[in-house]
Amino acid sequence: MDLMVVLALLTPPFAAGVLALGVRRAPARVAWLNVLTMPISLVAAGAIAVRLATGGTPVVVGEVWRIDALSALLAVLIASVATLAVALGPGTAREEHSQAAEIRTFRIYVNLFAFTMLVAVSTVNLGLMWVAIEATTVTSALLIPLHRTKASVDASWKYLLIGSVGIALAFTGTVLAYVDVAATGVDINVALHWTALREAATALHPQVARLAFVFLLVGFGTKAGLAPTHTWLPDAHSEAPSPLSAMMSGVLLAVALYAVARWKVIVDVAVGSVFTDSLLIVVGLATLAVGSLSLLSQTHFKRLLAFSSIEHMGLACFGLALGPLGTFAALLHLTGHALAKSTTFLLSGRVLHRFGSGTISATRGLLATAPKTAVLIAAGMFALGGLPPFGLFLSEILIVKAGWAAGHPLLTTAVLILLLIAFGSLLVQLHRMLFGEPPTGIAQGERASGAVLLLSVPVVLLAWLGLSIPAPLQMLLSKAVMVIRP
Amino acid sequence: MEAAFSRITMTAASAMLLLALVVLWRRHAGAYITAFRTQSIALAVTGAVVASYGGASELFFVSFMILVVKGWIVPSVLSGMDAKRQSARELRPLLNTETSLLVSGALAVAAYEISRPLAEVMNLPTRGGLPIALALVFVSLFIVVSRREVIAQIVGFLMLENGIALLALLGAYGVPLIVELGVFLDVLLGVLVMQAVVYQIHDTSAD
Repeated sequence: MDLMVVLALLTPPFAAGVLALGVRRAPARVAWLNVLTMPISLVAAGAIAVRLATGGTPVVVGEVWRIDALSALLAVLIASVATLAVALGPGTAREEHSQAAEIRTFRIYVNLFAFTMLVAVSTVNLGLMWVAIEATTVTSALLIPLHRTKASVDASWKYLLIGSVGIALAFTGTVLAYVDVAATGVDINVALHWTALREAATALHPQVARLAFVFLLVGFGTKAGLAPTHTWLPDAHSEAPSPLSAMMSGVLLAVALYAVARWKVIVDVAVGSVFTDSLLIVVGLATLAVGSLSLLSQTHFKRLLAFSSIEHMGLACFGLALGPLGTFAALLHLTGHALAKSTTFLLSGRVLHRFGSGTISATRGLLATAPKTAVLIAAGMFALGGLPPFGLFLSEILIVKAGWAAGHPLLTTAVLILLLIAFGSLLVQLHRMLFGEPPTGIAQGERASGAVLLLSVPVVLLAWLGLSIPAPLQMLLSKAVMVIRP
Repeated sequence: MEAAFSRITMTAASAMLLLALVVLWRRHAGAYITAFRTQSIALAVTGAVVASYGGASELFFVSFMILVVKGWIVPSVLSGMDAKRQSARELRPLLNTETSLLVSGALAVAAYEISRPLAEVMNLPTRGGLPIALALVFVSLFIVVSRREVIAQIVGFLMLENGIALLALLGAYGVPLIVELGVFLDVLLGVLVMQAVVYQIHDTSAD
């Protein structure tokens, strides 16, 4: 049974990627087939999540796969965003007419990218988790310059180099921890298994464990867009095709933060949580500040969204350091962010197509030209700004509350101020886009379409999240918190 | 026997660190690639020595893979990239040679200081080489951040990978085989993707 579920989760994106690679003809048909395959993963992830939320045991297959509540949460997010991305990407988007080669390239990499992320959160072996996260760089880098421009190729290189080097540092941390645990006499074949490591962690040398965590935080933090190694992110996320931006921002950052959280559990057993918490607070605050203070000066819509991702990752990182309540809030925040950011990035693709430009000043009068897209963007931006009734409002309030409860009133005040700055900046930028005189020669009006309908789903979910967390999600989040904070 | 084993691994590790310094001091892509190839061979030899003395027979296979992937395929890909670039011009780093070597010296000292607790927890005869492996990690990282040329950056990244492999080899006789294989796959695909992006950079710059 467990084997079937894991196969249903991992096979569809892998098979679709291989299919796109093998079938050169009729890329549009491959693309439409892809729209049918990705939801299979989503259903599988959902089934696992429901099982865990209702008190079931983790899904275990062999020595490699183990999906607990934390993994299931991430798997659901990855599969959801990937489903949106494959449904609205080149080959199926009716508005755009992509070349056959572009469609094929997109379908190959987007599926393999989703596959590597799903593997990263489904494996119990932290060595393999590292391999899968490194592979996410390989599978996404070539997709950034899908429309080949100098800027996109440069962004891809920057992402590839900084991402690879950062992730290599995470491997250094992994190896340091492994060397340490191997010296304690644990069977080395399971020494990188998260469950075995957690058992053996009390025997770790405290200084080695701390050293390993620093490497791991810098390494996976680079992939998660945490300061000061976030510099690749604004370029990569803004130059990538919008469906890829949605996946990179919505879930890849969360996957990297997931890796940090997995290791945090191990290191906390070895040296107590004060060490990792302090590091996460410092890094989280710095990242939040970088993201929040950069928002107002952005002139490109997608760069604005990219810096907003940095801001939200900083906040989630801060939340992870604040005990069970903060951890709950951080996971809820990652959930809301995955929905809001993937939606806004996918909408940015529509704006880009309509106006032929991604600069904020060139997209004035959006409300008049494309009212449906405009309303959805406004909702998405309100959500990202932390306005009620959207889910991110609730998680931000909870993080602030957790910060207060954990005895950091000054730091929490700073967080609150930065969040207000971010909110104000997003509002000003949104106002610039929605109103004013549209540039001449832009088509007016917008029909209702499947894409608009599909993109309203996450917006509705976000509003629902803010009003009341659905009971199954509440349960899943609580179980996931138990994984990080036993 | 154990003393000889310890000394051989120390020597090989030191050779690997010295080969990283070559990148800081020579200024031609060809020299970088040769240094990386030689370093990978030294890593494979270390692996084989650890395999025979440490009784970890899996490592023979891993050493063979290192030889094939990092000693042969990857350097060939890099040489191809360099040939396509068709330039024999000097590669100008951000920092001059003297400063670079000084920084590397400081990094090596830092590596010794940082890895002290590691040597405490271990009782393998190879533990003496751990600070050198960590120094190789740091120096390689420094190569990546201080060089502007893509070939030098890629070689720095690959040497960083070699440093981590050395760390695993000396610290625990290698990581589990399944992880090792995944790492090989990542390195290989990573280099191929880097090659593809570098070609695209040249194409778009030429336009």
